[in-house]
Amino acid sequence: MKSQREMPLDHTLELKIPFETEKQASIATRVLSPDPILKPQDFQADYSSENNVVLAQFRSIDDRVLRVGVSSVIDSIKTIIETMDELS
Amino acid sequence: MALPVAKYSAPDGVDESFVPIPDDPRYLTTEGRTTGPSDHVLNAGQIDRDKPSEPKGAHDGTQMTYLGQLRTQLTGLQDDINEFLTERMELAKNKKKKADADEKRIQEEINQLLDGGDAEEDAD
Repeated sequence: MKSQREMPLDHTLELKIPFETEKQASIATRVLSPDPILKPQDFQADYSSENNVVLAQFRSIDDRVLRVGVSSVIDSIKTIIETMDELS
Repeated sequence: MALPVAKYSAPDGVDESFVPIPDDPRYLTTEGRTTGPSDHVLNAGQIDRDKPSEPKGAHDGTQMTYLGQLRTQLTGLQDDINEFLTERMELAKNKKKKADADEKRIQEEINQLLDGGDAEEDAD
């Protein structure tokens, strides 16, 4: 029987978020990047930006872990957007 | 404005795309259906102190800002993803329950056969 540690991260979700400007997308990517992943063997997140679009790519061992991880990151992105909106 | 989009993929071949519908009320609010405290907790008297603020521009009757719209669309998209994955989790749970039941049945059948074999040997 395979142990939890050997399970592949084969459940994936790709999220594209179009910000208003390239600068906002770049800031959002940099704000998200330092957040450490608590269980990298179960869940991985990669962030990048191209022009004004933030691309978040998630990989997980199953749907449950993916749901928790993705929803948590989207909460963070919403906070980033709200902060930018309030300060603009 | 361009819309936030998401694409899901699983090893069982299931692919799903998520795109908000701009005029649908589901994508015009910052209050998500799958986030925040449950109705049960709220009905018990809990005050939601982490309630998200309204999108900028919505409260004074003017048009929502670009970022306000983006936040409402992302909230709806988050609900769609959460609901979809919750459904997938339920399916996986039921599948596992069935597999466990099948395994138990097969093990019982094997045990019965082995017991039967022992009984025959004992009879001899």
